[in-house]
Amino acid sequence: MALWFLRGLRRGVVTTGYPARSDDSAARLPTPPAFRPAALDRSTADRLVAVCPSLALRREADVLVFDVGACTACGRCQDAVPGAAAPSGEFELAATSRAHLVKRIPLLREAGT
Amino acid sequence: MTDGDPALSSQQDQPGVPPPASGSEPGPELAAGRQLSERIARQFGRSLHIRTLDTGSCAACEQEIRLLAAPHYDLNRLGFFFTPAPRHADLLMVTGPMVRAFDVAARKTYEAMPGPKIVVATGACALGGVYQPDAFVHGSVAEILSVDVWIPGCPPSPLTLLQGLLVAVDRLAEKVGGLSFAADETQEAAQ
Amino acid sequence: MSALTWFYLAAGGWVLAAAAALAGRGAPRLIHTACVLSGLAGAAGIAGGASALWWGNSRVVSAGGSVIVGTLQLQASSLAGAFAALLGLVALAIAAYAFRYHEAGPHTAIYLAVFNLACLGCLAVLAAANVVTFLVAWESVALLCYLLILRHPGRTDVAGGAFWFLALSETGFVLLVAAFVILAAKTHSMQLDLIATRAHLVPAGWRDAAYLLALTGFGFKAGLVPLHVWLPEAHPVAPADGSAFLSGLVVNLGAYGIALFAFRLLPVGPAWLGLLTMGAGAITAAIGILYALNERDLKRFLAFSTIENTGIIVTAFGAAMTFGAYGQRALWAFLLLAGLYHVANHGTYKTLLFLEAGVIEHTTGTRDMDRLGGLIHRLPRSAVITLIGTLGIAALPPLNGFVSEWLIFQGLFQGFRTGSHLVGILIVVAAATLGLTGGLAIYAFVRGYGIPFLGMARTRQSAEAAETGQPVAGPGLLAVACVALAVGAPLVVLALSRAVGTVTGVTLRPDLLPGNLTIIPAHTDFSAFSPTYLTVFLVAVTVVPVLIYLSGRPGADSVTVPVWDGGMVTFRPRMQYSAMTFSAPTRVTFDALYRPSVSMHRASDDPAGRSGPVHYETEVTPVFQRYLYTPVVRAVEWLADVIRPMQSGDVNVYLLYLFLVILAAYLIGAL
Repeated sequence: MALWFLRGLRRGVVTTGYPARSDDSAARLPTPPAFRPAALDRSTADRLVAVCPSLALRREADVLVFDVGACTACGRCQDAVPGAAAPSGEFELAATSRAHLVKRIPLLREAGT
Repeated sequence: MTDGDPALSSQQDQPGVPPPASGSEPGPELAAGRQLSERIARQFGRSLHIRTLDTGSCAACEQEIRLLAAPHYDLNRLGFFFTPAPRHADLLMVTGPMVRAFDVAARKTYEAMPGPKIVVATGACALGGVYQPDAFVHGSVAEILSVDVWIPGCPPSPLTLLQGLLVAVDRLAEKVGGLSFAADETQEAAQ
Repeated sequence: MSALTWFYLAAGGWVLAAAAALAGRGAPRLIHTACVLSGLAGAAGIAGGASALWWGNSRVVSAGGSVIVGTLQLQASSLAGAFAALLGLVALAIAAYAFRYHEAGPHTAIYLAVFNLACLGCLAVLAAANVVTFLVAWESVALLCYLLILRHPGRTDVAGGAFWFLALSETGFVLLVAAFVILAAKTHSMQLDLIATRAHLVPAGWRDAAYLLALTGFGFKAGLVPLHVWLPEAHPVAPADGSAFLSGLVVNLGAYGIALFAFRLLPVGPAWLGLLTMGAGAITAAIGILYALNERDLKRFLAFSTIENTGIIVTAFGAAMTFGAYGQRALWAFLLLAGLYHVANHGTYKTLLFLEAGVIEHTTGTRDMDRLGGLIHRLPRSAVITLIGTLGIAALPPLNGFVSEWLIFQGLFQGFRTGSHLVGILIVVAAATLGLTGGLAIYAFVRGYGIPFLGMARTRQSAEAAETGQPVAGPGLLAVACVALAVGAPLVVLALSRAVGTVTGVTLRPDLLPGNLTIIPAHTDFSAFSPTYLTVFLVAVTVVPVLIYLSGRPGADSVTVPVWDGGMVTFRPRMQYSAMTFSAPTRVTFDALYRPSVSMHRASDDPAGRSGPVHYETEVTPVFQRYLYTPVVRAVEWLADVIRPMQSGDVNVYLLYLFLVILAAYLIGAL
């Protein structure tokens, strides 16, 4: 009994304080991307749609539809078009409706610029 | 969230509709739903028993769920407990893409739980991603069960799972509905 | 009317029934008449037995008289009264059962005639007042039971099973003759009453020898280990009511014989005889139930259970003898009472179970527990009746088995009153063995009732069994008797204590029934028990909460959902327990006794799953046959081979033998 008790006293409490306090490890979690509308036009959007392995992206006219629920945070969209997507840092992703997880991102970049 | 009665549903499911801002008049359905969720928050606020159900996942979600019981995340301090018996469970945490061979068993597990009960779909597979419906999988848990809370991730980290459970019992407000996942210049400057 | 008059009525009824059956040559109307007459005779037997219990020994009636074979003498003794009442009940129930069970025909007519004559023979054994009557009646019962077992001689194993019965019965008979001859010679009388009065004059060595011979001889019939081997061989092959008669009554005749010698004919003997009897009984009980747990055949299972119950009865008798040897007269009488009570209970529920096993075999075509299942849905009335019998034999309160076993235990627990530490310890060891037996009996009967009746049907025959036309009145009567023997325990104890008072001279009643509904085991400072109040209490505790629930406020809306079965999609009958796997823990724990042999054979050496059919066979070593009976039989055969040359067939050699024998007799006479 003694050793782990003493070790525990030395180390202190390791339990996270979440949700009362923020957790330091949250910064290192893989998270779904946030897209920059200014960097997206139809061709980049189509490239992003083609590269996503879990079919979380599709393009409807001038809107990139991003299903956060299907995203696995693999990072391929960030590697394919650097600057168009970056980790959002959001890990509190629970939704009470499936529709809340489907995000519409406008394609604001002019083609060719 | 169902009180055992499938006709009673607490949220509208229209695409793109954000949750109502505070101060606006709620419709009669939303008011009833809020009453119900308040009652359920009172009932489940102190203690919630969770039954996990694997409908064909790769078990990465299960590993993260197991970590919830470890000392670092310790879900017991929040009043959550795991139970294997559906008869004792309040919340059904479902992972996996709902393999067709399992749907009867999933349905039986759900029906064996006494009301009120909550269904939480966990992980990208359960939410409809990764696997398309085919001869072997339904693709999404929502094909068989009526889901109350959705937790994305592959796998969702224990912190995400904790937030999801707290949202399910109304101890935390849902956050993702208000996010746009569209970074603009001001956000970039702030980061 | 006196008990003897009732016995005459019963005897006449059985003779008429046999005659009616034979006269009709198998016509259905006369077979039914025979069954009715047999039932009436049974009822007369119950009345006669009860009368003998209550009023004590009747006078001795003599008939005929010849110098060579002696006279026929009858007496309705109170010790026999308990057994006679049981005989009447069993005969009545079997008559009601046979009414519906047998198909009419000439073989059935002969069978029923033999059965009624066997009942008559049993009554003669119980009513015999002298040695010759007893022995003649005993032997006739044995021969008639042999014919009973041979009802279907063409079927497999019938001849073998019947032969085991006859062979062991005759071996026991030889020992009985020796025992009776010793007593009759030493007391110069053939009449049982006179033997009883003069037995204290017989030297102790001869008395002990007579008792040991009687214990072994009657032990063959009662089924004491290792003399029990005929029971599991004969019971499965006999027809249902034949097995019921064998187990319910004929085995109890063995117990009657032991009680006759221990309590009526001989005075209280030395303690070691009682301890030996008690030890034999305890070992028999434990071994009986252990072998019962290993049986798939319903009737073999019940046969081993009979052996277990015989062990319990003989343990009670042995402990009674031990207490008597130490001067504890109240406990001596009390344990005799408890043993007689258990005889009555065992006869009742064992007959019931065998009759129901017959119903099961008739409706499903099999006795193998692993081919049955779900019969509670197909045979509802039989299921309820069998449940009552099973609760009785498992000794669960409030039924009759519990009452008699409680009485036996309470007697055994007072072993400290003997004053000898060693004897007290031995009595406690016997009580512990009976405790083990009781626990294993519950295990065995959960298996014996649960596997055939509960769950899902394992085969199509079991799923298609139908109850129409099956006999219900006979087993139903016995179920009512089980409940009556439990709830009416004070009455039964009262009647038995009067009988025990006549036999032992100890009056138990004042110590036994204060307030008439509570039983106190012989000494007031030990314990008390009221079966009647217990039944009332258990019924109230079960029924009252249900009534409160049903009449209370309307409950919240409830939903009926299926039982949580782990979410399984289909449940196959093969997923259930089988009888052998349910009892597997005993095979592991007691493997020193069972010595199971396992043989396994695979069709090929491919890895698991692709090796083709696997043949797996496990067998419990038949210890007694292999290590006791086979050597004895071989020795006898060797001896016969050695002697055979004497039978050369030559007349001259035979004349030489005659001459030599006459010469030897002359020389011995002259000397």
